Amino acid sequence: MIRIFWSIVGKELIGFIRSWQLVLVVLYMFSVEVYIAGSGIEINPRNVAVGYVDGTAGGLSQKILTHLHGPEFLAPRRFNSQSELSRAIFDKEIIVGIVFDEDFEKKWRQNKRAQLDILMDATAASQAYTTLNYLQHIILDISKINIPVDIVTHKLFNQNADNHTFMALTELLSIITMLSIILTAVVFVREKEQGTWDLMLLMPVNPKVIILAKSFSQIIVVMTGIVISLGFVVLGIFNVPVNGSLSAFLLLSFFFVFAGSGIGLFIAAIARDVMQVAQLSIVIMMPLIFLSGAWTPIYAMHPVLQYVSFISPLRYYIEGSESIFYRGTEWIDLWPYFLGVIAVGGVMYWIGFRKIGRLF
Amino acid sequence: MQMMGMLKIDRVSVTHNKRIAIKEATLNVNEGEIIGFIGADGAGKSSLIHAIAGVIRFEGQITFQNSVYHSPSEAEKLKSQIGLMPQGIGLVLYDLLTVGEHLRFFANIRNITQDDRFNEYKSRLLRMAGLDKFVDRRAGNLSGGMMQKLSLICTLLHRPKLLILDEPTTGVDPLSRIELWKILDQIRRDEGTIVLVSTAYMQEAAQMDRVLLFDSGEIIAQGSAKELIESVREMTYVLTPSANLHSMSTLDTTYSLEPLEAEHISPTLEALFFVNALQKNRLLPPVEITPRDGDSSFASVVMEAIGLTKVFGDFIANEHVDIRLNRGEILGLLGANGAGKTTFIKMLLGLLSIDGGELSLLGKRIETAKDRQALKSSIGYVSQHFALYNDMTVRENLLYFALMHQIPMDTAIKRIARYAAELGFEEYMDAIPTELPLGINQRFSLAAALLHEPVILFLDEPTSGVDAIARAQFWQLLVALKEKWKIAILITTHYMSEAEFCDRIVLMREGQKVADDTIANLYTAHPNAQTFEEIFLEYYR
Repeated sequence: MIRIFWSIVGKELIGFIRSWQLVLVVLYMFSVEVYIAGSGIEINPRNVAVGYVDGTAGGLSQKILTHLHGPEFLAPRRFNSQSELSRAIFDKEIIVGIVFDEDFEKKWRQNKRAQLDILMDATAASQAYTTLNYLQHIILDISKINIPVDIVTHKLFNQNADNHTFMALTELLSIITMLSIILTAVVFVREKEQGTWDLMLLMPVNPKVIILAKSFSQIIVVMTGIVISLGFVVLGIFNVPVNGSLSAFLLLSFFFVFAGSGIGLFIAAIARDVMQVAQLSIVIMMPLIFLSGAWTPIYAMHPVLQYVSFISPLRYYIEGSESIFYRGTEWIDLWPYFLGVIAVGGVMYWIGFRKIGRLF
Repeated sequence: MQMMGMLKIDRVSVTHNKRIAIKEATLNVNEGEIIGFIGADGAGKSSLIHAIAGVIRFEGQITFQNSVYHSPSEAEKLKSQIGLMPQGIGLVLYDLLTVGEHLRFFANIRNITQDDRFNEYKSRLLRMAGLDKFVDRRAGNLSGGMMQKLSLICTLLHRPKLLILDEPTTGVDPLSRIELWKILDQIRRDEGTIVLVSTAYMQEAAQMDRVLLFDSGEIIAQGSAKELIESVREMTYVLTPSANLHSMSTLDTTYSLEPLEAEHISPTLEALFFVNALQKNRLLPPVEITPRDGDSSFASVVMEAIGLTKVFGDFIANEHVDIRLNRGEILGLLGANGAGKTTFIKMLLGLLSIDGGELSLLGKRIETAKDRQALKSSIGYVSQHFALYNDMTVRENLLYFALMHQIPMDTAIKRIARYAAELGFEEYMDAIPTELPLGINQRFSLAAALLHEPVILFLDEPTSGVDAIARAQFWQLLVALKEKWKIAILITTHYMSEAEFCDRIVLMREGQKVADDTIANLYTAHPNAQTFEEIFLEYYR
């Protein structure tokens, strides 16, 4: 039995390595994709194009504008009228527009309610809102209002509040989800496509061994990818801190990949070709990722969705991984995450296993 | 008018990846002529067909209806006159569209005005294809034969003057083949269409106006079937074992370039392939099979099925089919596409559950999942198209099969080496299956199915698309296996000429067994039949 198990694993690994296109895609996902996510996604404002219309003589308005400098902002551009500014925002040349009314400075000096109009391109929502936040700070600064409170911030776990490391890690976790699903499904569906499915069924081998061995081979592939990605990109380029134990992360990943490959088995049971695998994986994977807290914190979701998120194994995996990398949580205290991944993942693998087992 | 429809092919060559696929082919065709292309797999038929259809680049010049083209882009202006049906069953069809939707779709993409005249033509085509009752059926639910007829009428919708068909009848049952040919014959007479068609069935080729024989990228003979057959009559003899070194034999015929002291028999077009191989000194090693390692004195009834029934929803795929497989017997399972052969084989293999009736193997009833595991280790199966793992070499494939069957490593290696020598694929052991000719794949699939020394061998259309010589050799192998191994062989085929090599024939129609007898008895029961094909057709009238 053991010999048969390893023969099937070996055959699938040979098949994987021989299909160089697939190897390239997997390598690309684990390296370039993680790198792009880590370096490309910006939530802090950077190079924001600001335009303004100044109806005042220019004393106070210029003082405010001098606070908008690089690297967050490009040098503010002057427009002659509000309609020109609106036009520029419409054409995506400007993201934030500031309109200083004629009586802005006068009212300010007289301590009346001065009004500052801001036009924002809300399609670049996070950049625009953070810019708004900046502007409010600048105005608070300039007005020298005396608030008897000083705010002192202590940044925990991610001392530089650097979201590169965070995005890279989140992307890696999403890619692990995607590949563990798709690779497992493809291993089975390729047999359907090549017409070898019947031959596989005709082997006088316990179907359970075939399913286990085939999915295990892809778990090996994904685990290898995780190690490569961790070594070269996550730790190598982005210097994500490792406050906890790497082996705890790898073990947690192993259980999570099992869950993913369970979903893959389920898809493989339904799909007829690789094209359908791609479609079904996206349909199933997206809610998993949305509900996991990878993109939106769980506490910010609708209460119903918060409950639903308990069935996403990715939720436990992401929380667990963050705890390991950033918080340095001890092995013993990781048990809720392990329990979550193993319980939900176990159920998923079992469902997938049963579903594809029916085809044997 | 005669000049108008003429097709002139002038020194056309096609090269694929620096390999010459067809070299300087020259051909003139008149209006309404049907030209048959025959030749082995990879001889250049498909390349020439694609060049004439203007879908691949070629050298040389083609003139059709006084327009000249040298490339696919120049052929564009003639595309409305040309109809091409590529190789492969249902390749141009969409599973989810109905028959009627297909016709509308193809009319739309061809930009045909859908007036009364067109509708009349369309319903005539539907009637000819026998599809008028199935207008609302989805293509995915049609049988292989119906799919090919639908593909053909879709290709005919725009009334092409040049119709090019690449093996339209491969894998199609004799009944559908005859109907397909009726359509073609009608169309060329009504519309004066030129029909170029490649085929693997020599009986079909014999009915065409002219036949072109392809070999290694060249047209080596052309003429009417009669002329071609006459040219090899001198070299065709009754089976004369070990005649001389320059001869080749099938199960019933010997071909020799040197005169033999034996009776002549009248040849078929297949003789051309053998004589050509002899002239080029491409001789085949004689077939030799050593007895199996294991015991071959098992029970004389290897497998018995009584009243096997399979139901899909409200469709009865198999209804109370009885079948018995005897030790050392070749049983041919014949029937039209959709007659339930594949369903039946899948039940015997344990791939489909049995809805009624019972199945026993070597006297033991198959009931539990464990029984089915045992069943699997006594069966060897060669699937249609010889599907094997395309990311592993021949050697790795065979080793993998041996491992799965838990054959000890040293025995496996010895056996693989022996089969490679006996079945003649030794030199291809380290090649990937997709790179090999179909005939080689066929033999190595057979080796994979025999590694665990089964008592039953199932072959599902093992000879579709394989050339005449490879087919003849394959049958010699099967007969040798039967004699030396005492194995029971169940084979499905659409070549009626092959049915004659079977010891017994089971004929199926609409899920039921309609005949089960030896060839000789069947001929006695149908005294008017000249060939087995005619017997087959009588069961379908």
